[in-house]
Amino acid sequence: MTGRCGVVVAHGRLGEGLLSALTRVAGTQENLWAVSNDDLDSESLVAEIESLLAERTAGREAILFSDLDGGSCSQACRRLLASDSVRAVFYGVNLPLLIEFVFLQDLPFDEFCEALLEKSRGALGVHS
Amino acid sequence: MSQVLFRVDERLIHGQVVVGWGRRLDPKQIIVVSDSISHEPNEQDIYRTGLPASIEAVFWSLDEAIEGLSTVLSSGQSVIVLTEDLETMLSLANGGVPIAEVNVGGLYADQGRTRLLPYVWFGAEDERQLCELEALGVRVIAQDLPTAPPVRLRERVG
Repeated sequence: MTGRCGVVVAHGRLGEGLLSALTRVAGTQENLWAVSNDDLDSESLVAEIESLLAERTAGREAILFSDLDGGSCSQACRRLLASDSVRAVFYGVNLPLLIEFVFLQDLPFDEFCEALLEKSRGALGVHS
Repeated sequence: MSQVLFRVDERLIHGQVVVGWGRRLDPKQIIVVSDSISHEPNEQDIYRTGLPASIEAVFWSLDEAIEGLSTVLSSGQSVIVLTEDLETMLSLANGGVPIAEVNVGGLYADQGRTRLLPYVWFGAEDERQLCELEALGVRVIAQDLPTAPPVRLRERVG
């Protein structure tokens, strides 16, 4: 199997909430999942993400999305990055970023990272 | 290949249309047919917000649409045509716009309406307009996103 898959690692119910919103605008996704850090210490959170990846990536490149850089979710993601089980960790995840993941997931890696960041940064602003 | 999506959706231009259908069809234009919004620049600005630069939104009255759609449809470009209700779509068809299929993406709770699907509520008027469209040879299907299974609405009413 080729392509990429992703896990949103976030506080509380943010991850499942983002995926629920994503489903509404971009349809059901077969290669994106959510993990919450609720009730998990650092080691257990890493283990939780690892076991999900082991079960579902099926040889695909894994991308992690964390909510808050420096927070425990991000820390767990970076530990997995260091152990080579994932290819990249995007932090500050938002709905526009996940939408771009859905549509641009087959781009070459560097282009993929650049495009996701550019689009999701451009989606933040204020109307006043 | 160019494709034309005729969609009935009370939300008009929104996430499902721009992201779900827009990414699939790559339309050059989204044409909103609404007598009221064609006269409301502020509402038009709100609907235009967040559209990718590759998509132009235009807001036409029913008469403008009946007049202008033939040129757009013969140009071969992909386009999404949106109305808030089946009545406007029926008026387009009766006005001579060649519509093979109507996609219903969002009709919501209102007086006299009952729920057919999570995003489709229907009343007697909606049903009458559906029957008229089908009688004109227009297939009316409900499908919120391209990845969702289409549902022929005439099989859900009556």
